[in-house]
Amino acid sequence: MTEVKAELVGSVWKVKTQAGAQVAEEDELLVLESMKMEIPVTAPRAGTVKEVRVKEGEVVKEGQVLVVLE
Amino acid sequence: MSDDYGRLVGELHTRRKKNLAMGGAEKVDKQHQRGKLTVRERLELLYDPGTFVELGLLASQQSLRGAEADPDGTPADGVVTGHGEIEGRQVWVIAYDFTVMAGSMGAVGEQFKAARVRELALRYRKPIVWLLDSAGARIQEAAGSTFAGTGWLFAEQVVMSGVIPQVAAMLGPCAAGTAYIPGLADFVPMVKDTSSMALGGARLVKAATGEDVTDHDMGGSQVHCYESGVGDNEVANDEECIATVRRFLSYLPSSNTEPAPFVETGDPAERLVEGLDKIVPVNPRAAYDVRKVVRAIFDHESWFEVKPTWAKNIVIGFARAGGHAVGVVANQPMQKGGALDSDAADKAARFIRMCDAFNVPLVYLMDVPGFMVGSQVEKEGIIRHGAKMLYATSEATVPKVTVIMRKAYGAGYYVMNGKGYQPDTIVAWPFAEISVMGPEGAVNIIFNKQVEASENPEATRAQLVETIRAQINPYLAAGWAMIDDVIDPAETRRVIIKGIEQARDKKIDRPWRKHGNIPV
Repeated sequence: MTEVKAELVGSVWKVKTQAGAQVAEEDELLVLESMKMEIPVTAPRAGTVKEVRVKEGEVVKEGQVLVVLE
Repeated sequence: MSDDYGRLVGELHTRRKKNLAMGGAEKVDKQHQRGKLTVRERLELLYDPGTFVELGLLASQQSLRGAEADPDGTPADGVVTGHGEIEGRQVWVIAYDFTVMAGSMGAVGEQFKAARVRELALRYRKPIVWLLDSAGARIQEAAGSTFAGTGWLFAEQVVMSGVIPQVAAMLGPCAAGTAYIPGLADFVPMVKDTSSMALGGARLVKAATGEDVTDHDMGGSQVHCYESGVGDNEVANDEECIATVRRFLSYLPSSNTEPAPFVETGDPAERLVEGLDKIVPVNPRAAYDVRKVVRAIFDHESWFEVKPTWAKNIVIGFARAGGHAVGVVANQPMQKGGALDSDAADKAARFIRMCDAFNVPLVYLMDVPGFMVGSQVEKEGIIRHGAKMLYATSEATVPKVTVIMRKAYGAGYYVMNGKGYQPDTIVAWPFAEISVMGPEGAVNIIFNKQVEASENPEATRAQLVETIRAQINPYLAAGWAMIDDVIDPAETRRVIIKGIEQARDKKIDRPWRKHGNIPV
């Protein structure tokens, strides 16, 4: 199981995956918005999305778990 | 008579042969089984063939204060020292031999052999390389209050700092105080899995605090090249590590008294940079990999990234521009949007100071939304860390070229060598945005009441944002001649090379002082 965490504080702009989805390494899971930038969050490895823990528009803290892969 | 001659010379050869065999076949096998090369195999890779000259081959542990010594079992006292050539240039080495008492640092090896290398390298103004694979201080020789007389090697390293390049290649353990050798070095490659460094080794940690941890988990490359930033580049094995050391030194002069070496690369200075339109989105909110920009601009195959896996929101490394060695500092929009934080500022500041110390011109590729803001970074002391980068960029007197590719916001613009920091050339791409803050933030502050009072606040806000956005294009700054030019991105390579050559005879005099007070 791999937890994909926010690398910085920001808001969730777009969620691009859902539970059950198969992803390859480097696939975009969601996009954060912070510091005037769209910041893609990618899969650190291939796997299945077990859980998406955030919703669009939600403010997240650095280190907060966004997506869980298995 | 001739019998004696032959016997005596023969004894010399026997002694040499014995010490060249290091800790013996069994220990050498063990070293190989650990996935490591022996110290002598490493030296063959480090130096141009046939150039290594060894000093102190016949050394061994000596009896100290009546303690028992084992001169027979300690060939070269566990450290191979000398000099050789890398690409024809003299480089000194202190290389620990793990097959002899785990490469531990004994009195002979440290106080005579290593000390001599440090002295001569500095005397001749030549780089020094440590190949570290050592259990640390040899406790049998160091325990007791005669410890009072040790440790001056670090003071010597500080004297050498900024005078000769210092490389600490991590090829095995490097425990305890000796971890300050890499701590003070200019470049620290680390071999994955086999190398580690920590102020206290696992056993000492257990005794001191009760924590159970292995040397690898505590101080391997996965910690130091990814989390702590003490290590620079993680490498797969000994061969790659030593190739990386050679590569690093190729961009630096032998000392601060020489210019950085020029190498003809065959890549024309006038070459237009192709493909940037496919790499860099004009939409300032969109991310891209700035390393692709770096590779496109600089001489083919010349990019050598330093600290690629730590504080990835800033990219640093060496490249060649029309053959000139340069240090590149580039914002990385792909990581944290390119926003600067404490680690990024530390990483850049140290690299900038290294380049400045060794006469390597600096090229800043700017696309920065600013420094990270918020309660978390304030707790980390981002003002103090950001000030280091401000300090380093201000202090640097090597030729400095600034290219504003897209965003140039707030103090991010300053630390990336904005106009106030004496760039020798500063240019912008046509879609650059230069401002104290982004249009959205500016509208929130300047027109807050107006937006709130509007019947359609979002439309009013959007309209005001566009009004401000029109003010942040680079032509206003160019109209004021605050930047030297707006350029077609394809011209970037030529402009950088011309900028460096223009500043070749740069001379900046500053008021005398003992030294500044960088906010460390």
